[in-house]
Amino acid sequence: MTSGSDIASLREKLAGSDGPRFWRSLDAVADSPEFRDYLAAEFPSAARLAASPERRGFLKLMAASFALGGLTACGGGASRDYEVPYVNQPERIVPGTDLSYASSAVFDGFGNGILVTTRNGRPLKIEGNPEHPWSLGGTDVLAQASVLGLYDPFRSQAVQHLGKPSSWAAFRAELQAQMPAWHAAGGEGIAVLTGPVTSPTVAAQIARMRAAYPASRWFVGGGAGREAIYEGARRAYGRPLETIPDFGRARTIVALDGDFLDLGPGQVGLSGRWSAGRRAAYAEGRLLSLHAAAPTPTLTSAKADHAVAVPEGRLEALAHDLLGVAGGGAAPGGDDPVSRWVRGAAKALTEARGAGIVTAGLTASPDLHALVHRLNGALGNTGATLRHAAPVVEHGAGTLAELAEAMERGAVKVLIVLGANPVYDAPAALDFAARMERVPLKIHAGLYADETGAHADWHLPTAHPLESWGDVRSLDGTVGLIQPTVAPLYNGRTLQDMLAFLTDGRGSEGGADALGLVKARWRKEGEDAAAFEARFADALRRGFFPDSAGAAEDVALTQEAPPVPPAPAPGGIEVVFRPDPTIWDGTHADLAWLQELPKPLTKIVWENVVALSPHLAEREGIAMGDIVRVEADGRAVEGAAWILPGQAAETVTLSLGYGRNVPDHLSNGLGYDAATLRPVATPWRLTGARLTKTGRRRMPATTQNLGTMEGQDIVRVQALGAAPVGDPKDAAAPASFYPPPERQLTGEAAQWGMAIDLDACIGCNACVTACQAENNIPVVGREEVALGRWMGWLRVDRYYAGDLDAPATHFQPVPCMHCEQAPCEVGCPVEATLHDSEGLNLQVYNRCVGTRTCQSYCPYKVRRFNYLDYTGGMTPVQQQQRNPEVTVRARGVMEKCTYCIQRIAAARITSAKDAHAPIPDGAVETACQGACPTRAITFGNVADPGSRVSAARKDPREYALLGHLNTRPRTTYLAGLAPAADPTGREG
Amino acid sequence: MAQLFTPGADAVYRLALMTGVACLVGLPVLAAGIVRSNYVTGVGIAPAQPVPFSHKHHSGELGIDCRYCHTTVDKVASAGIPPTHTCMTCHSQIWTGSDMLKPVRDSYAQDKPLEWVRLNKLPQYVYYNHSVHVTKGIGCSTCHGDVTSMQMTYRANAFEMQFCLDCHQAPEKYVRTPDQVWNMTWKPPADQATLGPKLVAEYHIRGGSRLTECGICHR
Repeated sequence: MTSGSDIASLREKLAGSDGPRFWRSLDAVADSPEFRDYLAAEFPSAARLAASPERRGFLKLMAASFALGGLTACGGGASRDYEVPYVNQPERIVPGTDLSYASSAVFDGFGNGILVTTRNGRPLKIEGNPEHPWSLGGTDVLAQASVLGLYDPFRSQAVQHLGKPSSWAAFRAELQAQMPAWHAAGGEGIAVLTGPVTSPTVAAQIARMRAAYPASRWFVGGGAGREAIYEGARRAYGRPLETIPDFGRARTIVALDGDFLDLGPGQVGLSGRWSAGRRAAYAEGRLLSLHAAAPTPTLTSAKADHAVAVPEGRLEALAHDLLGVAGGGAAPGGDDPVSRWVRGAAKALTEARGAGIVTAGLTASPDLHALVHRLNGALGNTGATLRHAAPVVEHGAGTLAELAEAMERGAVKVLIVLGANPVYDAPAALDFAARMERVPLKIHAGLYADETGAHADWHLPTAHPLESWGDVRSLDGTVGLIQPTVAPLYNGRTLQDMLAFLTDGRGSEGGADALGLVKARWRKEGEDAAAFEARFADALRRGFFPDSAGAAEDVALTQEAPPVPPAPAPGGIEVVFRPDPTIWDGTHADLAWLQELPKPLTKIVWENVVALSPHLAEREGIAMGDIVRVEADGRAVEGAAWILPGQAAETVTLSLGYGRNVPDHLSNGLGYDAATLRPVATPWRLTGARLTKTGRRRMPATTQNLGTMEGQDIVRVQALGAAPVGDPKDAAAPASFYPPPERQLTGEAAQWGMAIDLDACIGCNACVTACQAENNIPVVGREEVALGRWMGWLRVDRYYAGDLDAPATHFQPVPCMHCEQAPCEVGCPVEATLHDSEGLNLQVYNRCVGTRTCQSYCPYKVRRFNYLDYTGGMTPVQQQQRNPEVTVRARGVMEKCTYCIQRIAAARITSAKDAHAPIPDGAVETACQGACPTRAITFGNVADPGSRVSAARKDPREYALLGHLNTRPRTTYLAGLAPAADPTGREG
Repeated sequence: MAQLFTPGADAVYRLALMTGVACLVGLPVLAAGIVRSNYVTGVGIAPAQPVPFSHKHHSGELGIDCRYCHTTVDKVASAGIPPTHTCMTCHSQIWTGSDMLKPVRDSYAQDKPLEWVRLNKLPQYVYYNHSVHVTKGIGCSTCHGDVTSMQMTYRANAFEMQFCLDCHQAPEKYVRTPDQVWNMTWKPPADQATLGPKLVAEYHIRGGSRLTECGICHR
């Protein structure tokens, strides 16, 4: 819709006083006739009821469903149901009740503490582990979606030899026949490739294996990689180190290409600490300000109080500028946004010496990391607000490039790939697939029979982390334990099993020895067996070994500062590569929940786009949805263009994880493969690229315009020290034509309500995925989303404020408001939506006849309608994930957020049986609340003045969404914080 | 021209008209009757079970408490079907050679669970919790009938919504003292009209329309 030539007029509109202060999409700003039609249609989806039948994901799911059809036949008789008790009731398992196990979620080899809720032996839901010293009870989208990964029908289910089904016995026999020769040659020619390893058990096994095969080599590939972080520390301190910021002690933060709030191994722990720090500062009446400079907008720059778009190539020069000011030099002059930003950041840092934090992200260059270390040293932050510790990732492995080179030389005779997918994710320049053909024996073990599996002689299914024993370290070094919550569904083996087998030819008979391997690693020399068992059992119950975090190390700057890089040569476009904010590096690309999760900033689903700045779109005449070609070094990718406000002018962002080539899989053929263009030396940045239009168009499916709330006071920003923007607390209820509600809103019954702190919300989507897992929310597919039929009960709206090139960004999660005077209830002809005495706006599926009147009456647009039978095509194995406490909705039924009524009912029944005590505060935690890493959501009884939600509602920032409609919503918001009396949340 | 209608045509016409009216009234009545019939609801029909277990013998004649087998009825949502192990606690000692009990012994020896035909089933959008009903003075027999008189167990009531509402609208008619919950032959005592409301207050059963709110059972 929006084309490049319109952008100039958009700028004018935004600059003019009549322009919208907050805006959600470029189309909304343009206010074009098409957009008005779209809004006026109310149900854009209804316009094309008989749309194209192509619903790719659906057909695939259906095909998988046929393939697994045999399983249903085992279920029993056609007309009768059976009750099948145990023969011997296992201890602690009570049919129909939840049982939680402490375990760890694995992200790029790093761990976060989780509690796995199981029922009748099936893992159903992931909750955060509040006792875990690193993750503090938060979770991220990948952890939440891991239960879907367990039941994923696309998972590899059998051993394959040369593409044909085989067996573990055949694999063992073949390898055992070869092993004597391996040992005789000292392992010459053996190459083992793994993902990043933090597990002490696996590390010990790798060491043992390398001792058994002294000439073998170990390589690490896959994941986002932390090489730049370690190399940066080496260039500053002479050795690789992790850097852990302590936001609690900080007074200001500067993030250069910073990703501490973005999806990544550290997101849960870091964002939780950041929001706690910000909350503590607010309580003291100050702001823990965040300055961010990045080439492409991220969650970190979106939450920044002062953000600026800077090309990746200029970040090092910018760090030098800051270093100069920190050393007593003068700040750069100039009136451009970058210079202004540098002056602001330098002022904040020098005013808070010893209490500032400068960070650089995963994708920053080693030199930038080194400069950030020097900057922190010069400011006295090192050791005060920043802790350094030994690297969590095991070192000593070779890189993918070295492996590719060894294969090219013919030096690799046996390639063993354990849990990595280099054929897909290695940069195309390494030509990994072709080089792999030169290896005589190739073995691949993974959760999926992926691209690498297709090129290997043997493919072996691995066990899912929810089926495995193991251990893993968090970013701070805390050792978390992984325990199985279900027996392996597909006879997969753990990496530990396979490493043990490859080392001595024994084992790999089953998972029985995996626990033994973990125990053997953790039993201290000479430790009494009973004492160890007690210690291990305690750690297993907690989910981690207490006090196992890495010790802080003293550091001293040893090396010279990196030189100021030359100004980038003009001409050509800078391309930056970023992991995808929902599916990360593509490892999780088959998880439909993550594919349909709107990406935090673009709100695009089911594909990746070529993100470019309004400036570049204007110059090249590129409109949203134009297929553009990005070319460099003779290679090219093509993807749909997306104009991203806040993007650096001459920078194009490509995201990883798409362009998969795995026939019949959900992810096959979605988007483009950014690895095609990734340089080997600088994996996150490419210069001198060319951008051309292909002339074709394909509009990405987005939820961006869904439920648009234009022209209203939706998002509020509280400038520090300014008059409160919240609703006045003592104001009389507005006059109403309607009689006051008959129902008693106080008294014996609890009155449920929710408060959402917009200052803490980082837009990470963990709540959305948690809601999907808890409430059996269906996935509808790309075409249905394009029709406006996205089914999520909770959406995170993203608003921009200010100008097009450097807007402020705001996130706002919107569940059902549970209005005390709910407009939807007036509309229903069959009373399928109505109130209960605890203030819940109920939706009764078995009454609903699907008139959709309630949806059109809802001012918040939080109701979702099942246009098709979205749940009928689920495979039996996916059905195992469904929460039995929540109805699976049929076609033709309206649904919406219930405040997790099943959790309320459970707490109500428990307290009713327990001497009729009132439900204690905190006994009901909604799924979204429990998942949130920054604790932005508070839920509880608003009639109890002592409850946490009542306390949150007393905050002067508290306001109701569209409160003037007199809907009296139970969900209210706390305005986001801004540094000065600036309504856009931005200082000059 | 010959007569178009025979002398009997009138009679046929009246008959057709009356049949039509009868169908209009009768078919819905018939349909309503069929869906309420025991044939459809399964009330009173005792299906063949893998073992001809008699509640009458075990619960009625021997007086074994409900909770000996249905161990979680007062603790969690589901009452619990006993594992084979529970049967074998006695039957490893008595009736050890009985042919009738062969499936139980086989189940135990081969570690293969018994598959009981399900009698009571609720639609998937209805959520029922045994424990809260039992602890609030609703007895087993109110829903399951007098199982101590059932040689073979059958469904005593069709669990249609009206059945649940009868009690949710007026719990005072059904509520019992705690010691009477397990009494399978309980009849409302003569003073139920005064005892009932007193018990409802004692149990803190929320009155008014609270128990008939949709969200109590549907979610």
